[in-house]
Amino acid sequence: MNDHFSVIGKSAPRIDAIDKVTGGARYAPDLNLPGMLYGALLRSPYPHAKVAGIDATKARSLPGLRGIVTIEELPRIVGYWFFLRSEKKEKDMFLRDNVVRFIGDPVAAVAADDRETALAAVSMIEVNYEPLPRIFDPHDALKNTQVTLHDKGNKAFHVTKHFGNIEQGFKEADYVIENSFVTSKQKHAPIEPIGTCIADYDAAGKLTVYTSTQLPSWSQMYLARALGLPNSRVRVIKPYTGGAFGGRCGLVHGLEVMCAFLSKRTGKPVRMSFSRTEDFIGTETRHPMTIDIRTGVTKEGILTANSITILANAGGYSTHTIGVLANCLSTGVGLYRCPNVYFDATAVYTNQSLTGAFRGYGNPQMNFAQESQMDIIARDLGIDPIELRLRNYRGLGEIDPVFADEIRSEGLRECLARASEAFGWKERGSRRRADGTIRNGFGMAVMLHGTGAAGALPDPASAMVMIGSDGSVQLATSAADEGQGNRTALAQIAAEELGLGLDRISVSMPDTDLTPLDGGTHGSRQTYAGGLAVKKAAADAKRKLLVFAAKDLGTPEQDLHVRDGIISSAKDPSVHLKIGDLMRRVQISDMSVCEQIIGVSSGVAPAMPGYYGATFVEVEVDTETGEVRVAKLVGAFDVGKAINPANVEGQITGGAVMGIGWTLTEELLLKEGRVLNDSFKDYRILRACDVGEIVPIIVESSEPTGPFGAKGVGEGTMVGVAPAVANAIYDAIGARMKELCITPEKILEALDRIGVEKTHEP
Amino acid sequence: MPELSIRICVNGEWHELKVRPDERLVDSLRERLGLTGTKVGCGEGECGACTVNINGKAILSCLTLAVQAHGKQIVTIEGLRRGTELHPLQKTFADEGAVQCGFCTPGMIVAADAMLKKNPDPSEGEVRKTLSNNLCRCTGYDKPVKAILQAARILRGGNHE
Repeated sequence: MNDHFSVIGKSAPRIDAIDKVTGGARYAPDLNLPGMLYGALLRSPYPHAKVAGIDATKARSLPGLRGIVTIEELPRIVGYWFFLRSEKKEKDMFLRDNVVRFIGDPVAAVAADDRETALAAVSMIEVNYEPLPRIFDPHDALKNTQVTLHDKGNKAFHVTKHFGNIEQGFKEADYVIENSFVTSKQKHAPIEPIGTCIADYDAAGKLTVYTSTQLPSWSQMYLARALGLPNSRVRVIKPYTGGAFGGRCGLVHGLEVMCAFLSKRTGKPVRMSFSRTEDFIGTETRHPMTIDIRTGVTKEGILTANSITILANAGGYSTHTIGVLANCLSTGVGLYRCPNVYFDATAVYTNQSLTGAFRGYGNPQMNFAQESQMDIIARDLGIDPIELRLRNYRGLGEIDPVFADEIRSEGLRECLARASEAFGWKERGSRRRADGTIRNGFGMAVMLHGTGAAGALPDPASAMVMIGSDGSVQLATSAADEGQGNRTALAQIAAEELGLGLDRISVSMPDTDLTPLDGGTHGSRQTYAGGLAVKKAAADAKRKLLVFAAKDLGTPEQDLHVRDGIISSAKDPSVHLKIGDLMRRVQISDMSVCEQIIGVSSGVAPAMPGYYGATFVEVEVDTETGEVRVAKLVGAFDVGKAINPANVEGQITGGAVMGIGWTLTEELLLKEGRVLNDSFKDYRILRACDVGEIVPIIVESSEPTGPFGAKGVGEGTMVGVAPAVANAIYDAIGARMKELCITPEKILEALDRIGVEKTHEP
Repeated sequence: MPELSIRICVNGEWHELKVRPDERLVDSLRERLGLTGTKVGCGEGECGACTVNINGKAILSCLTLAVQAHGKQIVTIEGLRRGTELHPLQKTFADEGAVQCGFCTPGMIVAADAMLKKNPDPSEGEVRKTLSNNLCRCTGYDKPVKAILQAARILRGGNHE
């Protein structure tokens, strides 16, 4: 392919880097408005209760208290944008009642002149709770018909799919292997806590909300529906955001809607900021799952049948549960060419804290089960684990059975080749050590993840490219950048398409008054779906530009090209013109024209191309303490085309570390519905000294539907980490770890179970 | 609560402030002086996003009372730039792709600045140890570590590799 790009494919520093390294970047908690009030939430101390009465008399007498709202007055959002597709479905998106369903569920919100008064007022509200029977275990929730969390029962979602003939598939198998895997409740824990919002109603009843959302356009619609306003009277502005990872993929439970009501009631802007503890107990988490997997395989290692049964714990309310289980289906069924598949997934409500979207969207859980299972099969059959994957994965030109779409780009084979080479997979036997109590081991896993959501969910992307009178360009997009760097990637795409330097492009922050419809930053979609919209809008602007240029230069449009801001004739380079000179004439000097060139694009992404990855891991297990350290990790990812290689490497390294954390240290622990580890002291995300060598590798398979061949990367980078680590632990100590997270206690228990000698005899 | 008068020198400029006795330094910096580059990630001294330098030492401004800073020299992220010229740490963080969401970045840079003043030629292990006071959820730490090592080379007068 043409690789003579001038802007894309290069590790340009991020367009927001200077703002961020100087402390100038303003995040939601940094914003203030004149006359702003401070909000605070009263949260339920009960995991399940009816709120029979709320007495706020004492709180109201507090000087400086300006307003109170209660859950009885407010709708709760219990769905996602899939629910907006019809008026009928939209009704299921909102819940109005006076029941609290987890410890930390908001009961009331107050607004006061300062934070201290708001917190004091919250403590003075008297609530009459009528405790209800509670359910914490998902298996209990499934069986129990006496205790129900919601009107429709405890099932949040159930899906069953058949491909081929599962019975026949097991008959054709030489071996049937059956295992059960359990995954933990992980918290996003971005360093900016989830949950800061400023809501500001103006005197005419238009609402402006500043919030760190991944979904500016959908959030505008959620708020408009919740508050009974036209979309156009809700303005959502997304400032800089301190990380999201799925934790801001919608409105935050108890945040924006409550703030908006308080602003309306008080006539003033209201800010609410959740503390780190509130982030831990009151915002969404990764769905914990139990995954039973039964696989039929021939003695040559060809998969003939795969039966997958999932039980997911959705917690008290469900927003993304349907999507998460659907993604377990598409990734669990899509990766391997197994002809006979049975897939059954159920999610249940329990009185545990919320679940929602989280990097990988069900795939990390599904992949942990599937890739552990593949490792077990490889060992049982005596086949090299790479070879087993190569014999079974669904490759280029094949049809994905879930979406009935062709695989147009596929770099898994190259990911495996390059990652195993960089890792030294073949030579791993010579690196096996047993130093004192330390055993090392080697493991790997592969993964497939979809880019975006086309075909599965509404998946729009839009962009406007406005050329200024000096030839510089403003790009307007609602594509939210939570830190991934997609604003920089979009600027690079616009610059490349327009033939301009990156320094000539400025990218908007999302502001629904000014920036057009976008499906949101989720599903690793912005470089792909957002990038396509930007590329088309830039091409539209360029086409309009060349109409003027052709007239000016007396050269047909098709003979003109643009490079470094100069429009010139391909036939006669002496015929040329600066974009700035042309634009000044078109917009200002020629008073018969006065036109701004605005390139636009809006529409659905053409596909949901899969991107592939391979993760290789070396672990060191201390058989005395049970501690596991990932000494080396190599992650190779097929991103189609790396628009900004440094940003892609950042995703691979960051995803690897988040994946290691999920595998080894990160688990939100709940007892009777109460979060026990609600701080960074007790919920351990990895620190710099915990991280071993990480090698990111970029593979480019060129996706034909993508902008310059690009597809996604962000989520997939953590997907294969847990099984790769678990497989390496098995290699080190011979114990199969089927439950996350893999704590030292579990390692020691496993060692006791299998009776491994704890000291090495040389 | 009666307010107390303190004098603090922030980024080379002395300020007279009236603060509450229980006021955290981070709130004085952010809310009274408008220096919002210093972030609050946990408020419990675990994440390091609120790191500032007091008399050359990296401290957590969420665990420091404003009154404890009375009479002292404080440097925040806003004070590292010389005019429009970036500090080498700021430049290498930007150039090496060490910034993603950027919320932990000011704390990391300020902590690294204090470390490099004491130890201008740190090993990668020493950088990782210092950086372990700062939680980052985006980068996996590799690029920030590289950026700090590169800035150390520049500050020592070595060549940009």
